Amino acid sequence: MRLWNGTLAGVVALGMASVATASLAQDVKIGVSIPAATHGWAGGLNWHAAEAKRRLEAQHENLEIVIAASGSAVEQANALEDLVSVQQIDALVILPFESDPLTDPVKQVKAAGVFITVVDRGLSETGIENIYVAGDNPGFGRSAGDYMVEKLGGEGKVVALRGIPTVIDDQRMNGFTAAIDGSGLELLGAEQANWNRDKAFEVMQDFLTRFQDIDAVWAADDDMALGALEAIRQANRQGEMFLVGGGGMKQIVKGVADGDETIPVTVLYPPAMIATAMDLTVARFFSNGPVEGTFNLSSPLITKENAEAFYFEDSPY
Amino acid sequence: MTLQGMKIDLKAVGPLAALIVLMVLGTAINDAFLSFGNLTNILTRSAFIGIIAVGATFVISSGGIDLSVGSMAAFIAGAMIIVMNLLLGVTDQLLVIVVCGVAFGAVLGLVAGWLNGILITRGGIEAFIVTLGTMGVYRSLVTYLADGGTLSLNFDVRSVYRPVYYDNLLGLPYPVLILALTAIVGYVVLNNTAYGRHVQSVGASEDVARYSAINTDRVKVIAFMIQGVCVALATIVYVPRLGSASSTTGLLWELEAIAAVIIGGTLLKGGYGRIGGTIAGALILTLIGNILNLTDAISNYLNGAVQGVIIIAAVLLQRGMGRQQG
Amino acid sequence: MASDPIAQDAPLLAARRITKSYGAVEVLHDVDFDVRPGEVHALLGENGAGKSTLVKILSGFVQPTTGSVLLGGQPVSFAQMREAEDAGIVLIHQDFNLAELRSVEENIFLGREITKGPFTDRTAMQARARELLDRLNCAVAVTARVRDLPVADKQMIEIAKATSRNASVLILDEPTAVLTKQETDTLFALLGRLKAAGVGIVYISHKLAEVELIADRITVLRDGEVIATVPAHSISQDDMARMMVGRELTDFYPHIAAPAEDAEVLLQVSELASGPEVLEASFALRRGEVLGFAGLQGAGRTALMEAIVGLRPVSRGRVELRGRPVSLRSLTEAKAAKLAYLTKDRKGKGLLLGSDLVRNFSLLALDKFATPFIDKRRERAAFHRAAKRFDLRAAGPAMKASSLSGGNQQKLLLAKVLEIEPEIIIIDEPTRGIDVGAKAQIYGFIANLIAQGCAVIVLSSELLELIGLSHRVAVMHAGRLTAILEGAAINEEEIMRHASGLTAAGASAA
Repeated sequence: MRLWNGTLAGVVALGMASVATASLAQDVKIGVSIPAATHGWAGGLNWHAAEAKRRLEAQHENLEIVIAASGSAVEQANALEDLVSVQQIDALVILPFESDPLTDPVKQVKAAGVFITVVDRGLSETGIENIYVAGDNPGFGRSAGDYMVEKLGGEGKVVALRGIPTVIDDQRMNGFTAAIDGSGLELLGAEQANWNRDKAFEVMQDFLTRFQDIDAVWAADDDMALGALEAIRQANRQGEMFLVGGGGMKQIVKGVADGDETIPVTVLYPPAMIATAMDLTVARFFSNGPVEGTFNLSSPLITKENAEAFYFEDSPY
Repeated sequence: MTLQGMKIDLKAVGPLAALIVLMVLGTAINDAFLSFGNLTNILTRSAFIGIIAVGATFVISSGGIDLSVGSMAAFIAGAMIIVMNLLLGVTDQLLVIVVCGVAFGAVLGLVAGWLNGILITRGGIEAFIVTLGTMGVYRSLVTYLADGGTLSLNFDVRSVYRPVYYDNLLGLPYPVLILALTAIVGYVVLNNTAYGRHVQSVGASEDVARYSAINTDRVKVIAFMIQGVCVALATIVYVPRLGSASSTTGLLWELEAIAAVIIGGTLLKGGYGRIGGTIAGALILTLIGNILNLTDAISNYLNGAVQGVIIIAAVLLQRGMGRQQG
Repeated sequence: MASDPIAQDAPLLAARRITKSYGAVEVLHDVDFDVRPGEVHALLGENGAGKSTLVKILSGFVQPTTGSVLLGGQPVSFAQMREAEDAGIVLIHQDFNLAELRSVEENIFLGREITKGPFTDRTAMQARARELLDRLNCAVAVTARVRDLPVADKQMIEIAKATSRNASVLILDEPTAVLTKQETDTLFALLGRLKAAGVGIVYISHKLAEVELIADRITVLRDGEVIATVPAHSISQDDMARMMVGRELTDFYPHIAAPAEDAEVLLQVSELASGPEVLEASFALRRGEVLGFAGLQGAGRTALMEAIVGLRPVSRGRVELRGRPVSLRSLTEAKAAKLAYLTKDRKGKGLLLGSDLVRNFSLLALDKFATPFIDKRRERAAFHRAAKRFDLRAAGPAMKASSLSGGNQQKLLLAKVLEIEPEIIIIDEPTRGIDVGAKAQIYGFIANLIAQGCAVIVLSSELLELIGLSHRVAVMHAGRLTAILEGAAINEEEIMRHASGLTAAGASAA
């Protein structure tokens, strides 16, 4: 009975706090829930989140940002509970591990009166989030496919390195195949390389063994592109083919900027999108104008000409 | 007596037979399978797991288990890269930098193995728990060192170091050569020295070993140190391949190494080790991945299932052949 | 124990013309054996004579190559032990078949739990277990974990477990090997009651005195054949031994010359204590001497020896080797001091059962052959030499130690330990569970060691063995060495008096 009273009091207090934060004089606490740095892109995500936290907290005296990185969808759901009950956040910025399993937990957070910003992957139900900063995964594959069709003049043989079997992987792959469908480009093979550089190196080695003629390679992530690149160099077949990855990893962006013929372009899918979402969320509390709605981030090509703008020397990604 | 001798021979044939079956399968699937390039790819690729598994053969023979090898490899790789990048500010002798980096990696491996061993023997904690703990520690440390991203070796240093992975001696890539040397040394130590006998005796029965004047704690610590050195050796060969280390480096290597050892006929409960089988086991694991990459016949999503089935079949084959003789 | 009336009864369980071959090796040849209701039928034979195979066939563990097993006159074939148990045939193994980590009660009812609806009825099982153990005068708590119990209690639990099955035929393989005299008496009383209830009992033992005491009929096996089946009262212990071995046992205990008056003291132990097991022990061992150690289970004999050789810490007292004080911290140091120790736990601590004979043989003395690489040819040659010296009977050096008979395992252990060429040899239970022939050989080896100028300490629970071998007998009681007997004082009554602590006060005064 005592426990129940305590919990009830907590919820009431939380509700009052979130109402109160609408005024500028009050402290604002924002929770940021993102996947842990288990691979390069997520590493970049964590780095950009930490950078944005430093920058935003310096700008706003009464702002506190709490970052929680989780290793799986289940862990992320647990982290959300902690953010609400322990940290008592006023707003949540979340990049969900997976859409379906996290829809309900985010709904619960919303029910506690918290302002919700969703990044990259949408939730399975619409109308939960106040702000949606949407990434474009099908566009990630489409941009690369379109570029290949154009560069090869509608004729050639390509192979693809996919990530870990997930919804995102499917969306990227489908975007890519849709782009090259009917163009005359032939997809020789597609193998999972798990967004892992070592695995991509081995898969590419085997593609090179298996196919004598390859004109282009698509990697569903720049980390894998780097591994594949090393395998192409080892086989001394740089002249025969080019490689398009995606994400905006600094080594790849640098290669594009330097005019490396094997990596003429890459596709932007910046982990910095978390910073964009955090900026917007903070603006909701510290600016006068209303900030709500959907912000679409497209996946444009990074080329030799514009590469400079996407290169972050200090970023781990 | 001859019957007994035959039994052991046939047991050794088990993993070899599985290896041959896979080779035949590979050839049937793709003509390029038997090409020189593909075969050297397979051998080179097996080097990391193979070298680590030689060490794991000692640990498992002694009745222990080491789950930390994959993270340890990532940590050593990360630390080596940092040290070499730092040394760049001290000297411009690239070769000296690489040699120092390699020596540093070797020492780190030795110390990491010693630490596992000491925690297990002095601390009296099960090997499974200790190495599960150090597994997490090393994995986190490398993520921390890399700031969540990737540690990359300076380009100039790498160009000097690169041949260690990519060059060859008389057509034999260096990693394969190092794997062969490690296997031969491991074989001799396990089968022809007092230490090798002691390791297997401790694994078979710690009590009997103690009552046979064997310092069981020392034997175990040394087994983990051998494992540490093997991990370091694999890492030394690994770093020049991509010149980088991240939190995904060496992921699940511990399970692959253990699988290679068991496929090769070493008993998981200890007491009996077999280096030749371990090497065959490592090759089998690599072959499965290679063959799956060379064909579209099997859905990508089923790769794990195929690997699982082949691993179990290989062990069944080997145990089955052993039993027929009994 | 009149056996004539029951001779008329039809057998409960019978083996008819059983032959069993493993490959080319025939281990049983045309064997007839039966047990009738209410009799104890003893099965005698040297190790390797085929006793174990025969009882395994009787209890359904092993299928015969030819011949049949008849239960109540009907041919039966058990696919597994459980079926045999259901038919009322229970085998109690020499090596216990207990779940070490589970409780006494859980072991007794393992696989046959008493249930109340879907749940096990623990109260009922505990009460029943208590009842079964009480019948054996065994005071062990039913909730105790088996691992923590002394071997004698484990044996009692095995017997309680068997009786809980309401067996009509009970097969006991060396049940008294680990029991004291009192415990043995209790067991025999229980067997008497079972007999009266019409249970047929097959009894295997090396202790011929016991057999003479308890058996109604005796069957002797040698080399897989039945030598004779006779009423027990018709033959003497000497006859039994002669039939088993197939030759005369003229002098069972060899004559071992007494050490010289001025023989060097090789080992001097003064006021030694080690943990709670050893409270105080002082003795001296001279070159050329066999010093026996007697005592009941838990008297601290083994702990004392392990403390001396460095296997467990010494908490107080002094050990001197050849006049020089030493404190050995490991068996490696003992080895360097030419001090050797043979454990009584052959299977758990002495031999690697899954390894071959050569590896077992060379394990302790391995540095002799490794410089640094093991010279396998020299190792093998040394093994063959030792196998010859100790009359080790085995199929070949690649054979596993687990397939050796008990006697040959003991010889292998002896060969292993003596390969370091020690001067002082401590042997714990030199002949436990081994046959008469091998026993005599082991005694011969001890005599040889003495002749070569070594000194030997023998720990044994067989008093006759201690009396037959030792120049002096030290007796321990409750962690203290209470007496060292010499000359005429070395007899059963005197030893038992000291061992049971009846004279503890007097002895320490002496």
